Amino acid sequence: MSSAKTDTIEVSGLTKVFNGKVRAVDTISFIVKGGEILGFLGPNGAGKTTTLNMLSTLLKPTSGTATVNGHDIVEESDAVRRSIGYVFQDPTLDIELTGRENLDFHGRLYNLNRNLRKQRIKEMLEIVQLTDRADNLVKTYSGGMKRRLEIARGLLHHPKVLFLDEPTLGLDPQTRHSIWEHIQRLNQEKKITIILTTHYTEEADHLCDRILIIDFGKIVALDTPDKLKAQLEGDVVSLTFKAPEMIPKVHPLFEKKKWIRRVHLLSVDDNQATTNRMMNMMHGMAAGSGMTGGINHGSTGRSRMPKHLEKMQPHGSINQNSFSNQALGSKRLNLLVDDGGHRIPSIVKLVDEAGVALESVELHKPTLDDVFISVTGRNIRDQRGSFMEMVRRHRIMRQARGRQTHG
Amino acid sequence: MVQPLSGQAIYVVLLRELKRYWRAKARIISSVAQSFFFLAIFGLGLGGFIGGVGKVSYLSYLAPGIICMGLLFGSVFSGVSVIFDRQFGFMKEMLVAPVSRTSIILGKILGGAVTASIQGIILMAVAGIMGAFTPTPALAFGALAAIGVMLLITTGFVGLGVAIGSTLNDFHAFQLLSTFVIWPLFMLSGAFFPIDAVPLPLQVAMLFDPMFYGVELLRWCLLGVGTPMLGPFGWLISLGVLTGFNALMIGIGTYLFSRAQV
Ligand SMILES: Nc1ncnc2c1ncn2[C@@H]1O[C@H](COP(=O)(O)OP(=O)(O)OP(=O)(O)O)[C@@H](O)[C@H]1O
Ligand SMILES: [Mg+2]
Repeated sequence: MSSAKTDTIEVSGLTKVFNGKVRAVDTISFIVKGGEILGFLGPNGAGKTTTLNMLSTLLKPTSGTATVNGHDIVEESDAVRRSIGYVFQDPTLDIELTGRENLDFHGRLYNLNRNLRKQRIKEMLEIVQLTDRADNLVKTYSGGMKRRLEIARGLLHHPKVLFLDEPTLGLDPQTRHSIWEHIQRLNQEKKITIILTTHYTEEADHLCDRILIIDFGKIVALDTPDKLKAQLEGDVVSLTFKAPEMIPKVHPLFEKKKWIRRVHLLSVDDNQATTNRMMNMMHGMAAGSGMTGGINHGSTGRSRMPKHLEKMQPHGSINQNSFSNQALGSKRLNLLVDDGGHRIPSIVKLVDEAGVALESVELHKPTLDDVFISVTGRNIRDQRGSFMEMVRRHRIMRQARGRQTHG
Repeated sequence: MVQPLSGQAIYVVLLRELKRYWRAKARIISSVAQSFFFLAIFGLGLGGFIGGVGKVSYLSYLAPGIICMGLLFGSVFSGVSVIFDRQFGFMKEMLVAPVSRTSIILGKILGGAVTASIQGIILMAVAGIMGAFTPTPALAFGALAAIGVMLLITTGFVGLGVAIGSTLNDFHAFQLLSTFVIWPLFMLSGAFFPIDAVPLPLQVAMLFDPMFYGVELLRWCLLGVGTPMLGPFGWLISLGVLTGFNALMIGIGTYLFSRAQV
């Protein structure tokens, strides 16, 4: 029972192929130490949920093995299930029951006796601040309240290992931060080992001891946030142009310079833009450019992208047409530069000489976003998933947002 | 892979079914009302025209059949609701818990049987108030037996619902289910007309309908008479057929459910 030293999760060559052709998870191997928080960072469809479903015994692996808390996920599925708590990506509450009843149901399923149930339910409700709403039907809860209830439920039976699948998707910043606090407190006080998936890089950076970047079902990086960022030597200089059409003119200039290590083209990559793009698609507008997400794939230069991934890129080069289809306004170029502060004047001069109007220049140390771009060749907020997945995600986010205003 | 049953798990799933049933008051009222209309309009309307069947009035004859209609719809839909559990995600919460799928599904079947039978009991009371049953000391005993019979009848049909719900994946199949499964089962059950009076092909079809034996058993309980064609031990035959049907449906339902992916 010396949990601190042992490896709580060991994954070896784990693979899941759906319908004989979709390699959702492709021979991944990694170890999670006791008490660690490991983050799965990856875009839509990367295979995060599928991995968790295998580790939680809901899905049988196509090949490979894994142990959770020392138990084999196929041979000892019952013991695995007793060791874990799983907060699913999609809602899994019974909305026709009250919050307390949902927790009570869970406690009984995990064979907690009456007194223990009562005491833990009380304790968990306090932690997630739902005590005063506990006896209301869940269908009257806001999205954030539902999420907190699900987290409380996942912890009710004091699991050794907790899987959190996008715990804060669609929540407002305030709720998100309070959930982060809970997660950290649980990890520290109860020594729970946690795997959480996210595609918010700041969430991964803030919470995780180590981050596993997964893309197309494969692990493309696994390290501490600091080490991952340190791999990108230099600084990121972010250029925003007045008119997006200007980018093709300056792009080649940068590629010739030795001191510019890498050039990445980015869209305005906040959540709002993503949501807009999804809405456009759903209304059948901009269908040609939006679906492929092509304009965001501007990774060129000395990128370390594996060959097989390069082929999968819908557009290798910049597509002039797709710019004009996008009503998103300005575009950005990110440059990874040695000693960025000193190079800014030269960069501005280069742009000036090309006769291109700059809107702003920004300098920052590499973030996880930059790391993600550098190992996968694209922006984490690209929606690469299927159309239906996007519709579903949009729905979840809208539900979560809509309900928050009421509670 | 034999997994142990957990009484606690069966109980909690059953409890959830009861709570959900009890909270959907509008559904209870509308299905009781629907059965009431059938009973009142057909019972009195057709009754005035036909008179009676054998020694009993048409209203009395019809009452056990209409109770079975409530049992049938209630039980099949309650089984099929595994689709909703999947769709709305709650199934994952149950499947990831350290309990066997058999326990979950037995709880579900039991819950469906109990809620559908509650529906049946309400209908029995309504029919009684309408004067469908002759009030004798034997009736009190018969009504008690009828409650047991309702549980027996509904168990198999919840199992059928679970089997269907585990195979089908979407709501659109609901319409098909109702048209091609539930209504034929009901119409062939002998609720409206005695089997002795119809052409041979229809008789054969009726004998293959498990609900036929359900209606038969309830008539024995509440009216004290059965179908002449099945003889004086018609109730025993019916009991046997329903028991066999239940075993089969629990088996198939459990098998298909445990095979289904989330
Ligand atoms: N049951 C299934 N049947 C067929 N394909 C599936 C199934 N579940 C997932 N997939 C496919 O497997 C791939 C990985 O999906 P997964 O849900 O694991 O991604 P994810 O990283 O969790 O994405 P997201 O960020 O959107 O949640 C996707 O291409 C998806 O379409
Ligand atoms: Mg996912």
